[in-house]
Amino acid sequence: MNIKINHIAKIEGHTGFMASVLQGDVKSAKFEVQEGVRLIEGILVGRTYRDMPVIAQRICGICPVVHNLTAIKSIENAMGVEVTEETVKLRRVMEHAQFIHSHALHLFFLSLADFLDIENDLDLVGEYPEQAKKAVRIREYGMEIIKVIGGRVVHPLTNEVGGFKKVPTVEEIGNLIAQGEEILPVALELGEFFKTIKLPEFTRETEYVSLGRDGEYAIYDGDVVSNRGLHVVVDEFENNFHEFQRPKEIIKRVMTDGETSYMVGSIARVNNQGDKLSPEARKFRESLGFSLPDFNPFHNVLYQMTEVIHSIEESAELMRQLSRADLGNAVTKKYEVRAGSAAAAVEAPRGTLYYWVDIDDKGYIKSANIITPTAQFLTHLEDDIAAFIPGILDVDEHTREKKMRAFIRAYDPCISCAVH
Amino acid sequence: MAGSEFKNNEMETSQPEVKPRIAIVSLTSCEGCQFALLDLGERFLEVAKKVEMVDFRLLEDEEDDGRPLDVAFVEGDPVTEANKKTLLELRKRSKLLVVIGNCAAMGGVPEIKNYREKNIPIKHVYKFIQGIENEEIQEVDKFVKVDFTLPGCPIDGEEFLKYLPSLLAGDIPVIPDQPVCIECKKKGNTCLLLENKPCFGPMILGGCDAVCPTARMECQGCRGIRPTGNVKAMKAALKRLITDEEFENTTEIFGLRDDVEAWENDHKEN
Repeated sequence: MNIKINHIAKIEGHTGFMASVLQGDVKSAKFEVQEGVRLIEGILVGRTYRDMPVIAQRICGICPVVHNLTAIKSIENAMGVEVTEETVKLRRVMEHAQFIHSHALHLFFLSLADFLDIENDLDLVGEYPEQAKKAVRIREYGMEIIKVIGGRVVHPLTNEVGGFKKVPTVEEIGNLIAQGEEILPVALELGEFFKTIKLPEFTRETEYVSLGRDGEYAIYDGDVVSNRGLHVVVDEFENNFHEFQRPKEIIKRVMTDGETSYMVGSIARVNNQGDKLSPEARKFRESLGFSLPDFNPFHNVLYQMTEVIHSIEESAELMRQLSRADLGNAVTKKYEVRAGSAAAAVEAPRGTLYYWVDIDDKGYIKSANIITPTAQFLTHLEDDIAAFIPGILDVDEHTREKKMRAFIRAYDPCISCAVH
Repeated sequence: MAGSEFKNNEMETSQPEVKPRIAIVSLTSCEGCQFALLDLGERFLEVAKKVEMVDFRLLEDEEDDGRPLDVAFVEGDPVTEANKKTLLELRKRSKLLVVIGNCAAMGGVPEIKNYREKNIPIKHVYKFIQGIENEEIQEVDKFVKVDFTLPGCPIDGEEFLKYLPSLLAGDIPVIPDQPVCIECKKKGNTCLLLENKPCFGPMILGGCDAVCPTARMECQGCRGIRPTGNVKAMKAALKRLITDEEFENTTEIFGLRDDVEAWENDHKEN
């Protein structure tokens, strides 16, 4: 029997899915990607490093902030450019804001309908107007932060190698702090609503990979860690996670030893660093009643909710610190263009985003590599679905397809990122 | 919701309300233009109530009914055969076809590969290139007739809302032929050119609220050359800031290079 889904809506990018099952055994379970290639790494070669953050962030319309930041960090690492504490804090606030708006979109508008048996978000908004309003407000708060600091939500403008072209005023930061105080209770209320949603039972033991750092819930800096005891510096990333292409496939595979898949994203981060969440986020996480490590991928949605709360609290704290600092220190200072190569990684909403770049002494890019979260977890998702299918063979075709769509969407894949 | 309301209205005998049928379709892209629409939040949901949203895969699981459309909005580049087929079918069933964003309008960042030796960029990315569709980037208007272009990388949601009512009424709006500088000055910005930053504002079509220069990012031309924009004068002004090669490289970012070359061809006698 073949199970075919022609096109999976409500995810970023275009893909179908095909599984073949023989007498109850899943023989194959595979995405059929319907995206064209844009060859982002290829077109960066030969261009000045200054173009890289501008071009690379256009890999993704939903998470440009993290592509922009990771590109900038990799260049700074390669050329040995130091940035100020204020610059790092502003960037971290932007990253939290990216989490807030990306997660709010996914957990409410892309994923929730699946668990309420609704097929169209406009219907979802009609049936749950209060909750929809809350999700929109939370999302708008995240977008507002990016607009104020970055100059624009989709493809921000102010960030560059060495710092910021323009920094927000103390008043603007003060306004954002005030909005953050109002939005936290809204997020906690939405969290309570999500606790009432019944998610499917499915578990498969696996490896969860994320950044990790002493004393903080790492998203901007740290080493690469896993629940199975892995702990390596970012420069060692490609020695541990092997990226390779299978003939005719346009999304490269990433595996730990060439054949074992692993998981990244909210569920991985919470599994690895759940004890470092901010106070309200930790309370919410504990109230869910799942012990860590949690091996149910559907819970990714609840951990996105957890991270929304965390990022609201953390960004508010960072902004309070910034409101007492001299933001002028975040404005780009003169730096030297030098030859060098280096890696960088940040946590994107969907998981660890890795960049590597090699720059010549004039500042031109000799080589670049980008490994996105979705490319990392795509094989893991196929493996999960292969394990999920035997449990849904008895239901009718329509229901089965719906359950598979729900599974895929719970992962929050971004096919545009994965192909790039 | 839009669909079911439509049916209810059809059943009523008095004054059936016929909503314009629209589709928002993305080809190969970052989908940032769709997000620029979604980011309008409740205002986008208001718009969605006033139309019949036939195809918007970012929010709907329901299958497109395939019937005629009043307006089709297209984002992205037709890179694959499947993309091209989608585009041709969309054109056939739509009264108006509107391209949104820099990729659909001008090729966008993927077009950079057109200026590299064929197969060099793809070989940098992939070990096995056989079977991967890698034709030169050609924008939407090379394949179908385009009725209106909403430019930008990404588009500006406010500008979309401004032109939407006339598009829904079947009229084709015209974006005023004025440079980015008009809005930039209104914002009280210091001119980036005066700070020796190579800003393309004077030759580029405004309407973007000068979002880049306001963030102190020089205009790199994602909205394209305005009808009376002067490439020659722009290049002369930039001469003391960047080399011709740097100018050319920068025009590649948003698919402007071929438009600059076409302008120079058209104005040879000057």
